[in-house]
Amino acid sequence: MTIDWSWIGDHTDDLTTLTFSHLQAALSAVLFGLLISLPLAVVAHRIRPLRGLLLGLSNVLFTIPSIAVFVLLLPVSGLTRTTTVIGLTIYTLVVLLRNTVEGLDSVPAKTKEAAKAMGTRPLRALLTVELPLALPVIMAGVRIATVMSISLVSVATYIGDGGLGQLFTDGFQRNFPTPVIVGVVLTLLLALVADALLVAVQYVLTPWTRRRA
Amino acid sequence: MNRRTLLGGLFAAASVPALAACSSGITSLDGEGGASGGGGSSKDGVTIGTANFTENQVLGFLYAAVLEAAGVQTKVRPNLGTREILIPALRGGDIGLLPEYQGALLHYIDPKAEATEEGEMQNALAMSLPVGLQVLPYGMAEDSDAFAVTRETADRYGLATLADLRKQNGRLVIGAAPEVKKREVGVVGLKDVYGVEFKEFKSLDSSGPLVKGALKKGDVDVANLFTTDTDIQANRWVVLTDPKNLIPGQHVVPLIADRKADSTVRKALAQLGNVLTTADLTELNRKVDKDKKDPEDVANAYAKEKGLTR
Amino acid sequence: MYELFKNLGDWLVSGEQWTGPDGIGHRLAEHLQYSLLATLVAAAIALPLGLLIGHTGRGAFLAINLASFGRALPTVGLVVLVFLASGLSMWPVYVALVALAVPAIVTNTYAGMNAVDPDVKDAARGQGMRWHQVLFQVELPLALPLIMTGLRLALIQVVATATIAAYVSFGGLGRYVFDGLAQRDLVQVLGGAVLVAVVAVVLDLALSGLQRVLFRHRPA
Repeated sequence: MTIDWSWIGDHTDDLTTLTFSHLQAALSAVLFGLLISLPLAVVAHRIRPLRGLLLGLSNVLFTIPSIAVFVLLLPVSGLTRTTTVIGLTIYTLVVLLRNTVEGLDSVPAKTKEAAKAMGTRPLRALLTVELPLALPVIMAGVRIATVMSISLVSVATYIGDGGLGQLFTDGFQRNFPTPVIVGVVLTLLLALVADALLVAVQYVLTPWTRRRA
Repeated sequence: MNRRTLLGGLFAAASVPALAACSSGITSLDGEGGASGGGGSSKDGVTIGTANFTENQVLGFLYAAVLEAAGVQTKVRPNLGTREILIPALRGGDIGLLPEYQGALLHYIDPKAEATEEGEMQNALAMSLPVGLQVLPYGMAEDSDAFAVTRETADRYGLATLADLRKQNGRLVIGAAPEVKKREVGVVGLKDVYGVEFKEFKSLDSSGPLVKGALKKGDVDVANLFTTDTDIQANRWVVLTDPKNLIPGQHVVPLIADRKADSTVRKALAQLGNVLTTADLTELNRKVDKDKKDPEDVANAYAKEKGLTR
Repeated sequence: MYELFKNLGDWLVSGEQWTGPDGIGHRLAEHLQYSLLATLVAAAIALPLGLLIGHTGRGAFLAINLASFGRALPTVGLVVLVFLASGLSMWPVYVALVALAVPAIVTNTYAGMNAVDPDVKDAARGQGMRWHQVLFQVELPLALPLIMTGLRLALIQVVATATIAAYVSFGGLGRYVFDGLAQRDLVQVLGGAVLVAVVAVVLDLALSGLQRVLFRHRPA
């Protein structure tokens, strides 16, 4: 199995396009996942009976093969980017919901009582006290969800999307390893870079966690 | 944020996959005449969808080359899947144009169709296509389905025609793309027309690495291949003849949404159809599969060489 | 919605659907075979590795980051790559599944070992226990809950991902998903997906039951 370096040189434009398309799908999914899981996590955190239901439900979602999710979405959103993003979002929810709930759980009860005693209104306490303190655990979830999404995008190649995943089906059909190797390497690099950037973001967002280190 | 709206959102999110599975027919994929895929006429551009095998992508890029030369903006979406996926996408508007094959398309639309001659099939297609879709004049090039066996298998069982398969009913394994199991030009027709029954159907791919690999290795006895596949000759595989005309003529034919089929598009695609021969198409496939050239480059070079583009 | 689930019900209960080479019975057996064998092989590789790293403390960086690498590795790409190298064989399926399972098991095993109180280990050594006694009689039992978590996580992922076997011509429940996609038969796709989910949940429950039996003698 040899690498055809000239193919890589001839396809830098295509590879750039695919990489950006890949990234766009993965990041949109994480963003939508956050928008959906934050309010859900607050509900799950506050209303105990719903907690088990929500977390259990999201665990079951995780056991469904991703390719099936994409196919089952076809009647709703067709062969479009929307299908890819909805499918990926479902998988990010599993991680984001759990970590956000655990993050909120990790806020000490005394801190919450102090905020209440100072007359902070519940919504304000949530936004200015609880969520910031939960941030390290939430960010851990965001990192996992991002890396997972970047890896999963390629499955959407079975419904004609999939960013760098298109290199896999192409190489497969033509018995041509070069695009496949390039696709795997670029996916790993994207995940690595995105993860490192998120670590940096977390460092900036949570200055209070640094003092102890 | 009150509790009720939160709960509403919760149930909406929780039921996404369930809804997804259940609302077939409401929106795009089955809907008729959706507006996406580039808007209302060829002036807004044409999105060309292609199936999951090399030749269809070559054809898609050939369509794109001649249309661009005629001043129509195009976008090719390679490797979208099977006809079963592509035609609903065309009806829903996700794509506007699709390289098709006359007989296979006709049997997909109307499994009971009896037409076998090119002109008849063209008429039958015009009659039976869903509202909003039409076929343009078919081209010279032809790529038929073929059922092939290795030379050794042919010798051992004395196989020359599809009818001969019947002598080995229940003993042979056939390999083909999954959709062929339910297609008239496939397992269904082989049983109805020739009375052939296989021991097992193996889901593989469309004249791709799986089905050819399995035939070579002996995992399948009979393989569904395309006649434009150069590996048939290279491996000296035997294509079983079809005395009862189960396999209809398979001239390449553009399937297009009505709103995209203006005179510019018709003229450009007709010109291509009159130039591209079966031998040309076979050679273009070979360049992509064996020389690892891009389908797009191969298509553009061909169009230029034949004076279809400048 | 009603119709799809009614069709799914019909699909699941029809006798014809359960028999023959493409029957649910056979596909289920294939799926279990791929999943269990891959998880066993992965455990045979990952458990010693995780225990070793946890016991010696060397290679901790690797153990922590391996999980992230495992998540980043695109399974489809890996399957295709091994297919191009090995041809039509089970290698692509098993390599991809094992590669998926190993990181989860290593990382969790290490985490479990790492969480064992150093004082407990010191005390064990102080009593004159040899290194293997410390490992197997002290550390391993204390780390077992997290190790089991890793195994369960790996198994769930492997069961869901074993679907990919169908992409390279093999069987398992993924056959229904890929055939259903090609034939645009959503009932078949949904049936396959539901069966995969059921298998994953049942195996997970079985492992958690096993875990409970193993810990019966100890307070949680």
